[in-house]
Amino acid sequence: MFAKGTNKGLLGWMIFGIAMLALPLFASTATVRIFVFANYIAIFAISWDVLSGRTGYISFGHPFLIGIGGYTTALLTHHLGLPLYITIPAAVFATMIAGTLFFLPALRIRGTYFALVTLAFMELMYGLVQVVAPDITGGTRGLTGLPSIVTGAVSNYYLSFGVMFTLGLAMWLLFKTRLGTALGSIGMNEEAVRACGLDTTKLKLFAFTLSAMIAGLGGAMYIHYLGSIAPRGLFDVSFLFTILVACLLGGAGTITGPIMGAFFLTLLLEFLRPYIPGSERYLIYGTATLVLYVLQPRGIHRLIEITVNWFVEGFMRRKST
Amino acid sequence: MNDFIENQVLDTLSTSGKSRPRPMLEAKGLTKSFGGLLATKNVSLHVNPGESLGIIGPNGAGKTTLLNLLTKEITPDQGSVFLDGNCIDRLSIHKRVLAGLARTYQVPRPFHDLTIQEHIRVGMMPNRLLDMLFHGADDEKEQEIAESVGLGGERSQRFPYELAMGDLRRLELVRTLATEPNVLLLDEVFAGLTVGEIEQISDLLTNRRATHSTTYMIVSHDLKALEPLVDRVMVINFGEVMAEGTFREVVADKDVQNAYLGTGWEQE
Repeated sequence: MFAKGTNKGLLGWMIFGIAMLALPLFASTATVRIFVFANYIAIFAISWDVLSGRTGYISFGHPFLIGIGGYTTALLTHHLGLPLYITIPAAVFATMIAGTLFFLPALRIRGTYFALVTLAFMELMYGLVQVVAPDITGGTRGLTGLPSIVTGAVSNYYLSFGVMFTLGLAMWLLFKTRLGTALGSIGMNEEAVRACGLDTTKLKLFAFTLSAMIAGLGGAMYIHYLGSIAPRGLFDVSFLFTILVACLLGGAGTITGPIMGAFFLTLLLEFLRPYIPGSERYLIYGTATLVLYVLQPRGIHRLIEITVNWFVEGFMRRKST
Repeated sequence: MNDFIENQVLDTLSTSGKSRPRPMLEAKGLTKSFGGLLATKNVSLHVNPGESLGIIGPNGAGKTTLLNLLTKEITPDQGSVFLDGNCIDRLSIHKRVLAGLARTYQVPRPFHDLTIQEHIRVGMMPNRLLDMLFHGADDEKEQEIAESVGLGGERSQRFPYELAMGDLRRLELVRTLATEPNVLLLDEVFAGLTVGEIEQISDLLTNRRATHSTTYMIVSHDLKALEPLVDRVMVINFGEVMAEGTFREVVADKDVQNAYLGTGWEQE
């Protein structure tokens, strides 16, 4: 069912899982909260990677999907007082429907044009939630006082990590199946995939819906963690770029890469904060990103892969001599 | 697909006993224009089961357009395509492949991050999401197909960027063969190859013709390489069929010589 080398990868996931589960035992509450944020960015990065990293349909509008998830659950809990076990699945479902809307342009366009159309989706949503029925959406100020799923930093950490880890592992395993190979082939040469007798429309719809599902779940959980939702924070270009840079810096199309990218970016910014509290730390963030990208355009994932291989080969050589 | 197979069976039963074989691939009156340019004009052709038809003609004559019309990469303005007697006009590109009509491209279109074996995997893949998800790859079968074009074993783990043009053509061919086509359309299969590589591909196709009943349509400018591979040749010029017949008949045709071949063919 899975491609060769999956077992070796699973060992890596196990080590990552154990280390992350043990983290709250050693880290301060403030650090744990930073990791909660990193987990959510990683969920959004996984969602982007399933769609854009694999199929090559670059989405600039992922905050649109995250926003659909966020606003659906926010409206249902705020106005109707529905419990979260109803509103969150409803949010996921609504985002999956929105994902099919997102999919329509992909039937005719790709590349830069597709990216710009998805950006338009985000901008449209930004405008709509402010102007259309602001008494319901909360307008520019959004909605506050939303209920939490769990309380406390450590509980939120385990919840966000559990979801991120489960989704990440599931998507990583999916990429190791023949379906993953087919989705990846679309990103390399869609015409050739069709010439192999595969229905690329069906495959793309699957990737779009799956990506939307993850974005919807992540978006809904994220706003309940924050306790509020506002259009400015959600449909913001810098939020979009955080997701994009995390994926590209980590290594798009690999799932593990975007997770690494999300952690690297979030931790770098947050750990620099005590030393450089102003926005100057973004200069270091930008420089580090550029240097890493120039050093290895295929991302941190590839850099780690090369390093591990180098150590393993060195060890084997020494053993044989 | 089930309807298609059912039709095939019914048609086979209804035509059994007739002496003339039903064409495996047939096109009737294919016409396509791009703005003011008439790329193909009322082109009709047929290829019988197991037969190999060569398509030749000057650059820009409409040969690749004809292939694109047959596979529906371009939709014709007029005309119809039949596969084993069934009209396939309403079938999309991938459904035509599933029905048994596959092609290679003039410029190879590899998947840059996949190995040769993974290319075969994509070619062999069923068009069902659950099958793709829950059934693993058939390593043995993939190797067998790779071996059939001389890309088996360690070579099957190579990536496209490690391959010379000859091997890239084989890769294109093997990915297409993995779809198990009944009719194989080969577009400029010898383009950009060295003499040795042409010989290798030519041998490969000759051997395959001897062992498989696949029907071929081969577009090529390399007439010497094409000659042993085809039973008939069709010449296309300015989007129209100019001549048709055996290789010798066609190259002896004065109009074909004037339009495409030049002089000197009669003497060879």
